[in-house]
Amino acid sequence: MTILDVRGISRRFGGLQALSDVTFSVPKGQIVGLIGPNGAGKTTFFSTLVGLIRPDSGSIQLDGTSVVGQKPHKIAALGMTKTFQNVALFAESSVLDNVLTAGLLRHDVETARKEALICLDRVGLKSVAHKLAGNLSFPERARVELARALCTGPKVLLLDEVMAALNPVEMQEIMDLIRSLRDDGITLLVVEHHMRAIMTICDRILVLNFGRLLADGTPEQVANDPVVVEAYLGRSMEAHK
Amino acid sequence: MKRWIAILAVIAIAAVLPLLLSPTGYWIRVLTFTLLFAAMAQVWNIIGGLANQTSLGHAAFFGIGAYTSTILVLKFGISPWIGMFAGGFLGGIAALIIAVPTMRLQGHYFALATLAFGEVMRVIANVWTSLTGGPVGLSVPFVPPSIAAYSFKQLLPHAYIALIALIIVTVIFEAIRRSAMGYRLRAIKENPAAAEVIGIDTTKVKLQTAVISGVLMAMLGTLYAQVAVFFDPDTVFSAASISIRVALIAILGGVGTAIGPILGALFIIPVEELMNDLFSSGAAGLSQLIFGVILIAVILWRPRGFITVFDSLMARFSNKARS
Repeated sequence: MTILDVRGISRRFGGLQALSDVTFSVPKGQIVGLIGPNGAGKTTFFSTLVGLIRPDSGSIQLDGTSVVGQKPHKIAALGMTKTFQNVALFAESSVLDNVLTAGLLRHDVETARKEALICLDRVGLKSVAHKLAGNLSFPERARVELARALCTGPKVLLLDEVMAALNPVEMQEIMDLIRSLRDDGITLLVVEHHMRAIMTICDRILVLNFGRLLADGTPEQVANDPVVVEAYLGRSMEAHK
Repeated sequence: MKRWIAILAVIAIAAVLPLLLSPTGYWIRVLTFTLLFAAMAQVWNIIGGLANQTSLGHAAFFGIGAYTSTILVLKFGISPWIGMFAGGFLGGIAALIIAVPTMRLQGHYFALATLAFGEVMRVIANVWTSLTGGPVGLSVPFVPPSIAAYSFKQLLPHAYIALIALIIVTVIFEAIRRSAMGYRLRAIKENPAAAEVIGIDTTKVKLQTAVISGVLMAMLGTLYAQVAVFFDPDTVFSAASISIRVALIAILGGVGTAIGPILGALFIIPVEELMNDLFSSGAAGLSQLIFGVILIAVILWRPRGFITVFDSLMARFSNKARS
């Protein structure tokens, strides 16, 4: 069953074609990686999916409902939200309040508080629930982002570099969490720079380059695709040798 | 529990205080206006503190309330109690009209747009002579004293009405702050884009806040009209003595907190009156100058408001209680 269907999405900023004719569809319960060099359009694409940026053309269907032109809060209510790469927490509020606020989308304050604690437990941050979000370390804040997005009760969750600056143990925890979210029936799109992590957890990988979809396949297919290797992986693999 | 005892104690003191002042004297008038301005600042605090939208146009709603109830008494003999709700209704509509175009503005731009709106209302009230009496102003007609007619021989009942109004708007402020709406407002204040993405209808929440604040401010306008008995457009639609003063009271006291506007009004209104009392016989404008210097000193001393003094006193008190 298709949960997310993207057809011909394009968006231009002045002279820059940030996204051009992006088309793909995702069946429910898949973990899809989105990779590409810096400036490839990954974050722009996520922002377009959740309604922060309006595409110039194309259609986006979430679980059979068209969401192009809808406001972000409507799209969140329909079941799609994202985390922010640069971390956009409510810094003057407690960690718990950050997550609780997201829970208010579907619950009253008391139920939202319970849901928020469950979400914080899942990302391993229940112990800092009463700290101010602004006082956490960067990796912790990225996990609060994840908990907050999760607390909206999404069908499709877009994770923008939640593993940045994590140590290997923490990274493993987040990878386990992403798998368990998939097991709960949530479909995930994941932007991540850490190649090994993304190759391990994703069922499928999309490669963006200059706003264009360059490849779409299993991690093995993508890793061995000569076009991808040349455009992206090749250089970094050379560098690692 | 302790908190409730403290709150009840403060209300009890506030309830007894008017009885200790001479019922025809000067200080009961100061007290009444202090309570009224505390209530107005609390209402401003709903939009200025919770939504972080610094309105400098709240005189618009205040004046609408004062004029609506007074015109209804003058032309139709309708009790100001009913006029107060009519004014609240019109104040809410005015708030909606100004909120729709200004909602996307932030910081200085929002402040300037609302300031302009207040000034527009002042000009309209000055020009629309057939309805408002123009620059001459309006007098609330004298009717035989009764609670139903909102008419009293003394200031004492007005002081109590202002106290009740302050309690009501403070309860409303605190209820909003603790509700789902309060969480949403904090989210919008700190990161509007993230707030939208996690499902908050930021437009709707901002409109609701503006309308609640506008309705309550207009209702307080009626209270003012009944105490002042006479007013003109330049008084009730005043940028300096209404719009900016209520913002100043809330900011000086501690913006976004329930106690802040009360502390701010308890300081500003009596001190301003005292300066007028002490220095108005000297050079023209001397009292305002001294008042201004005091304000600057206080802002430099406590940039985050009197609430910080209050907080540290409370902390010291509870430490002592523990040891």
